[in-house]
Formats: sequence, C-alpha cells, structure tokens
Amino acid sequence: MPKLKWLIVPLAVAAVAAGCGGSSSSSSSSSSTGGAGTSSADNSVLVGAGSTFVAPLVAQWEAAYLKTPAAVTITYGAVGSGGGVDAITARSVDFGASDAPLTSDQATACKGCVQIPWALGATTVDYNVQGAPNNLKLTGKVLADIFLGKITSWNDPAIKALNPGASLPATHITPIYRSDGSGTSFVFTDYLSSVDPEWASKVGTSTQPTFPTGTGAEHSSGVIAAMQATNGGITYAETSYIAADSLDYALIQNAAGQYPKPTNGAVLAATTTGTKRPDGTIKLVNPPAANAKAYPLASYTYVIVPKSSPKAATLRAFLNYAVGPTGQAFGPPIGYPALPSSVVAQAKTLIAEIK
Amino acid sequence: MSTEAPTTPAPHHLGRRLRIGDLGLRTLTAAAALLAILTIGLLVWEVLRGAHESISTFGLGFLTSTDWNAVTNVFGARYLLEGTLVTSFFALVIAVPLSIAIGLFLSELAPKALRAPVGMLVELLAAIPSVVLGLWGIIVLGPFISTHIEPWLDDHLGFIPLFSGYASNVGVLPACLILTIMVVPIVSSISRELFNSVPADLKQGALALGATRWEMVRQVAIPQVSAGLVAATMLGFARAVGEAIAVAQVIGAHNASPFGSLFKPAGTLASWIATQFSGSATSLQRSSLYYLALILLTISLVTNVAAQLIVRRIQKRMGVRV
Repeated sequence: MPKLKWLIVPLAVAAVAAGCGGSSSSSSSSSSTGGAGTSSADNSVLVGAGSTFVAPLVAQWEAAYLKTPAAVTITYGAVGSGGGVDAITARSVDFGASDAPLTSDQATACKGCVQIPWALGATTVDYNVQGAPNNLKLTGKVLADIFLGKITSWNDPAIKALNPGASLPATHITPIYRSDGSGTSFVFTDYLSSVDPEWASKVGTSTQPTFPTGTGAEHSSGVIAAMQATNGGITYAETSYIAADSLDYALIQNAAGQYPKPTNGAVLAATTTGTKRPDGTIKLVNPPAANAKAYPLASYTYVIVPKSSPKAATLRAFLNYAVGPTGQAFGPPIGYPALPSSVVAQAKTLIAEIK
Repeated sequence: MSTEAPTTPAPHHLGRRLRIGDLGLRTLTAAAALLAILTIGLLVWEVLRGAHESISTFGLGFLTSTDWNAVTNVFGARYLLEGTLVTSFFALVIAVPLSIAIGLFLSELAPKALRAPVGMLVELLAAIPSVVLGLWGIIVLGPFISTHIEPWLDDHLGFIPLFSGYASNVGVLPACLILTIMVVPIVSSISRELFNSVPADLKQGALALGATRWEMVRQVAIPQVSAGLVAATMLGFARAVGEAIAVAQVIGAHNASPFGSLFKPAGTLASWIATQFSGSATSLQRSSLYYLALILLTISLVTNVAAQLIVRRIQKRMGVRV
C-alpha cells in the first residue's frame, strides 16, 4: 500500500498531459495551417461562422437541410463578419460568412478563399425617439451629418425640413455603431461614402471604421439593444430586426429623390444597377437616379470557402441548395429577396471551383 | 517485511523510500514551477511576435498617437491608455477606502455573529462572472446612472467639465463603477485577513494605555498592515487594468479621451482588444492590437515591481518582516 500511493501523482500528471495533448488549438492567427481543428472529414456536419446579417436565413437552412436526403447538420455561429473571416482563415470552420469583401490583407491570409454571393438583403436605419413618428425621412447627406456629429438634436432644421408637420422633440441624437468587425458597417459606410464626400474623406469605408461620435456595441443584437435603451438613439442593422422588435425605421432618400421602404421589391430593384468590384463582389448601395424604385442600402452577403476543402462535395451540395430555388425560397418572408438569376449562375460557377 | 537485525535493514529501507519520495517531490514541484515560467515566457514571446509589425511601423510614437483608423491604417494607443488609467485609478480611489473600512468592520467592529456571513457575502461579489456583471451594468446600472446620477452631477458639479454633458447609459462613469465593484471584494478580503493578523497583544496594549478604538486602529493596526494594504491595492489595480468583458459592455467603445467628460464613451486597452480582435481588417491593425497587449503586460510588470519596492521600503522602515 505505501508503494501504490506513489503512483497516484505520476498517474494524475500523465492523465492531465494526455488531456492537454488531445485538444489542439486550431486558431493560430499569424500562421494558418491547413486542416487543423474541427474540419476533419466528417461529412455529416458542416460548421460555419460569420455575419449576423445572414444569420436568420442560415437558421432556416439549418432546419430544412437536415430534413433533405443529404441530412447534413449545419452549425452556424453568428459571431460577426470579422469573426467569420478570422475563423475561415484559420480553417477552424468549414465556411465563413461576411457582408464585406475581403480586404487585400485578409485575402492573402485566407490563402485561396473564394467569396460567393448567397443571399440578398438590406440594411435599415432604426431609431428610438420618444415623441417622434415612425418612418422619418432622411437624405444620405443628413444621415452622414448625424453620424459625423454635425447634427446633434432630433429637431434640427435639416430634419425638420425633410419632415414638415412631424412632431420632433429636442432630444439629443446618439449615433450607435458596431464596435466589432462588421459587414453591416461596411455596407453602411460604403453608402455614406458614396453620397457624402465629407464622409468619404473623414471616415471612409471599412468593416471597422472610426466613427467620429457616438457609442459602440457588439453585434447587431447589441446595437439594437443599445438603441432601445437610449432615447434619441439611431443605429443601422439588417431589415429583420424591424419586424422582430417593432422598431421605428427611417426612410432614406435614393438618388431619384424617392423614399422607398425596404421591401423585397425595392431591394430587388437595386440589383439591376449593381457595379462589380475588381475582386468580383458587387456593390449595390446608392443606385443611380434612373433606378427610381431601388432601396439605397441593399447588399449581397457572401459565403467564404477555401478553394480546396476536405469536405468539398458536402460544401458544394449545401451551397448549391442554398443559392438554388429551394434555399432561396426561405428568404422573402424574412426580408431576403431571392437572388437574381444572373447572380445565381455566377454563384454556381464559383461553387463548382471548390475541390 | 524482513526480520533481520534491527539496525542495518531499517535505515536501508527507510532511506530508499525517503529518497524516492524526495526525488518525486522535487521533480514534480520543479516541473510545476517550470510550467508556469514556460507559460509566461511563451505568452510574452507570442505577444512580441504579433506586435512586431506595429512596433516597427509606429515605434514608441504609438503611445502618444491618438488615431485609431482601419481605413488609413494609422493606429495609436494614447486615448486607450488614458482610458485604462482613468477608470482604474477612479475605481481604486473609491474601492480602497471602502475595502479598508469593510476589512476593519469585519475584523474589529462587527458583532462576532455577523462577521462570517457578512464576510462571505462580500467575497461572493468576487464570484460573479464579469460578463454577468457587464450585463447587469447595461440593464440596471447604466440606466440608473443616466437617469439619476449623471443629471444630479451635471446640476451640482457641472462647472467642472469632467461632470458635465449629456447623460448616457454607457461611458466612463459606469465603467469606473463596475470596476469598483470588482476591486472591492479582493481588497476587502485581504485587508480583513491583514487586520486579523495584527498581534492581539499590540492592540490590547494600546487599548490598555488608554487609546480609543479609533486611535488604536489609526496608530497601531493600520501602520502594522500598511505593507500588506499596498500589496492588496496593487492586486486590485491589476484586476481593474485587466478587466476586458465587463468594461467593453458598458464603456461605449469609442476612441476618445476620458478626460473630456466622465459621461462620454471611451475605451480601455483590454476592452479594445476584446472588441476589435476578431476580424481585423488589416494585418497592421491586428499587430497594433498585439501592441496594446504588450502595453498591458508592461503596466502589470511595472505595478508589480513598484508594489514590491514599496512593500520592501515600508518593511525596512518598520523593522519588521511580514
């Protein structure tokens, strides 16, 4: 018995060492190794992470795809576009999702990733002002001035001029923005840079821009919660939050001088005048004046996949399902109009490249 | 066991068991210490490696530059450094006297029956996860501050720019208060132990000579434990400086100076790293976040060394060794 008890401690140490050795850390930031972590070739599960913008739609796909003959479990973590890009760069997930195109540094780090448009949606400007009506009209310039800090109260003459007859209280305006790496921030600042040269030079377009004023919160749910807790708060988030939380939202003037509501029709109208960027992604914000019915803050959202993946066949099957008619049919009821057929064709070509 | 002559086999067996046990003990404890040293070493190495690009681009100017811009790729830590120092000092200024008072109450002044339960409740504050505290800060503390405390401060102390401005649920003030709540349990439990450890004959001697309770505390107990109180304060400071999640939720994530107004949003080193790390747009931004981590590590090192120096000086002056 005295001899046995000396074995307990070494055994414990060995057990701890075995436990530590078993779990490999798969998120190495500066050196991305291929095939580490959870992406073993278990083709009954696909793990993804990224954009909160597309999360409600992916949730629909998760439930439905499991019931198809393919019977693959999709697990999606809505950690934000920035987190999704990091995750797929480290190959700790099978697919990432982002509303913003990869920056050149991110594209280099991701090593052969392709961005495929898989959903279409819109960003809306929501506000919480006690005493003010819903659907206040704002132009792009006024919106930029609000977020630049040049317009500081809700009864400012510029807002009054756009909304004659509306009762506007003297409440202080608090712009609320995304503090994490966000594709929605990219779309919003892309729009503001297009309509306001001062915004373009002072702030620019980015997933993590430096907003001159206001407070930040993490994720869309965070900014919505912060706005609801702040009288006078104004923020930007995807369309689905309006119905889900009964929010007041602003009508943004498009280039034709109209104030379209962010309906599926208005978003689809914006796709007819999309401009292609050098990296293949498509810019939909601020459509030209000829497109009178288009909503000015529409955007595609992209799935980011490596060109060579251990789960290539499973990924191709899922993505073809998602961009095809079955997957896209889940979108319109929750604010994601179906992709136009030209974009579907482009997406399918890119999906076929996954080996 | 063998039944040989009593003298020779007994030392032989005992000696071998002792030597194996000793060797095992020495190896295991040395391995544990080595593991700790290796962890710190690898951590510092990884932070240095990640920060390399930012250090070579900005050098020490990073500490004085106020820009943080992912679009123009220019980054600087000054406002974040100020935010960290302001929130931590403010938290200490409120928390340390409060904690010493709590420690005194629990060791000297409370009825004996109350000491254990009240002590346990104070220590329970330390058990609250920081993310829960942050959530409470957003839901309860923030609105309370913006509807009651900030308007009051603005009305009565508004001539001081620090206490004027629009009331807001998020900002430097809620962050300071959250940090205070986190520092109090640490410093108060240590000070309670310290006050309990003052030799009873010293305390009773002072009382016997006619000192009042307050005089005994002020002239005997506090000087006796001052070295330990300094160490406890530094522990509290380290906690406040390093807190990321709770602060990130209530401070408003804005790169601005905290000296303008306590009601305005700002940022700290730790909370900035927590919010910005995932999805850095450029490699220079990611590297700058590692640089922020390096600054945090340096602050911890400096405060630790400073604490030890102060403690040693107090001990030398008092001629005692704790």
